[in-house]
Amino acid sequence: MRLELGNIDIKEIRFADKSEIKDGVLYVNQEEVIAQVLEDDLIRDAHLEIAVPGESVRITPVKDVIQPRVKVEGPGGMFPGVISKVDTVGTGKTNVLRGMAVVTCGRIVGFQEGIIDMTGPGAEYTPFSELNNLVLVVEPEDGWKPHDYERAARVAGLKVATYIGELARDLTPDETVVYERANLRESFENYPDLPRVGYVLMLQTQGLLHDTYVYGVDAKQTLTTMISPTEIMDGAIVSGNCVSACDKNTTYHHQNNPVIEDLFKAHGKTLNFVGVIITNENVYLADKMRSSDWSAKLAEYLSLDGVIISQEGFGNPDTDLIMNCKKIEEKGIKTVIITDEYAGQDGKSQSLADADPLADAVITGGNANEVVILPPMERIIGTTDFVDKIAGGHDGSLREDGSIEAELQIITGSTNEMGFNKLSAR
Amino acid sequence: MEFWLVTNNEKVNDAYADKCDVLFVDGTDRDVMKTIRDLVHEGHSLLTHPLSGSLKPGETPFRSVLVDKSKNETVDPFSLDLIETCIQALQKFRVRYEGLSERKLEDFRHVDLSIIESAIPTAMADRTRVVGVDRNGA
Repeated sequence: MRLELGNIDIKEIRFADKSEIKDGVLYVNQEEVIAQVLEDDLIRDAHLEIAVPGESVRITPVKDVIQPRVKVEGPGGMFPGVISKVDTVGTGKTNVLRGMAVVTCGRIVGFQEGIIDMTGPGAEYTPFSELNNLVLVVEPEDGWKPHDYERAARVAGLKVATYIGELARDLTPDETVVYERANLRESFENYPDLPRVGYVLMLQTQGLLHDTYVYGVDAKQTLTTMISPTEIMDGAIVSGNCVSACDKNTTYHHQNNPVIEDLFKAHGKTLNFVGVIITNENVYLADKMRSSDWSAKLAEYLSLDGVIISQEGFGNPDTDLIMNCKKIEEKGIKTVIITDEYAGQDGKSQSLADADPLADAVITGGNANEVVILPPMERIIGTTDFVDKIAGGHDGSLREDGSIEAELQIITGSTNEMGFNKLSAR
Repeated sequence: MEFWLVTNNEKVNDAYADKCDVLFVDGTDRDVMKTIRDLVHEGHSLLTHPLSGSLKPGETPFRSVLVDKSKNETVDPFSLDLIETCIQALQKFRVRYEGLSERKLEDFRHVDLSIIESAIPTAMADRTRVVGVDRNGA
């Protein structure tokens, strides 16, 4: 499979009469975009706002972050099974709007959704503060169930990202990056002496606010399976997950998965990147056992020497993480797990809700209980009505002057378990 | 599979009281945990994970867990380990849900319902029968 990603740098976003991209500037006709969003009866009102890096702006509550992309050559379209038909994606050419994102923001059930500060100490914890953000603020119609409204808000964001991506269809990329993988037999023949490494990507799948979709299918209803990394780049996995801000994988994270990016970079040099296994994180214990058994079976079947496992979420999914790790290790395959920590505000408590001696190689995204103080911002996109309810916030966390005292878990992407964050230790 | 739905969430009770066997706990999420721990000590196995989704311990006042009604002759070590670890995890976080408005409480009830709803059809369809289990137990 060969996919070319054509990166088109977006340096600025402006509202205009005509939607287009010219000289790195994205011009957006707001009325045209909003008309598409309001086609859904569940959405009463919507508007767009622009947030620029360095600006005194706070975006909250954030539901999803999405990178606009468009399929230029090859089968399928963006977000297959949700926006486009379910054709298999991941080959041909895709144009990517680099340096920007569509951020969906608005009330679902009012908590769990995070904060993106575009400046100040909070901005340093989220990679999304460095992007030009086109923020879609949606208001639900009264009387609908949260499930229906979550779907409406999720699809609205994907629609807007697809609309914006479409503007880049005929543009010449600033840079093209090629991702190519041979089939299993060829890759074993090509690199007989390199260690065979796979990636187990865990997807949060536990119910309202906790779901992930693969080609439009709710991943809690699937068995552990394989997917090409380039399919993921073309939007085959989308987030329906609102929990918790710091360690949920937004759609943007899936599109730009840093584990996949690094495995491609190392492929053929220090290792043979054999493939990606996707598995779920269900509530039912028998599901956890079945799914982790399947991860281990596939890893063994692929004759892997090593596996990287990335988690999504905290608590309940710690059990899935440890089951995956332990069962794969017991097959004689070495693992490295990527997680984050809830080690208490002083960092002294046990970090995970589950553990095993076989989990002896761990990468952490940071301690989500660490306390941060976010100064007031001049402009709020969305509402801070829910800050007290957001994970990591607490009563009194929103102060009268507009500043917020809360744990790191309040910030979108701050302790991401794919390693798509900026925390490090010395 | 015959199971108890142990919950302190009225919304879960309302939705399932006539569909399965609900053990309603009139108390906190910690009281639910203790009820479940006692059942595990009596030889019952957990069917769902006692930590709710990625809601942080202490954040939501509501908790719903499925427990197998069939009774093992000895304590199920996996369930015992899991419930003890979860109780420890719960103790690590301070309670944040006191004084929540009714609207916020209603949201938490709804999400708790949604999480357990994702497991109940699986439990109802689960035909696992363990040899040697006393089906009339407890």
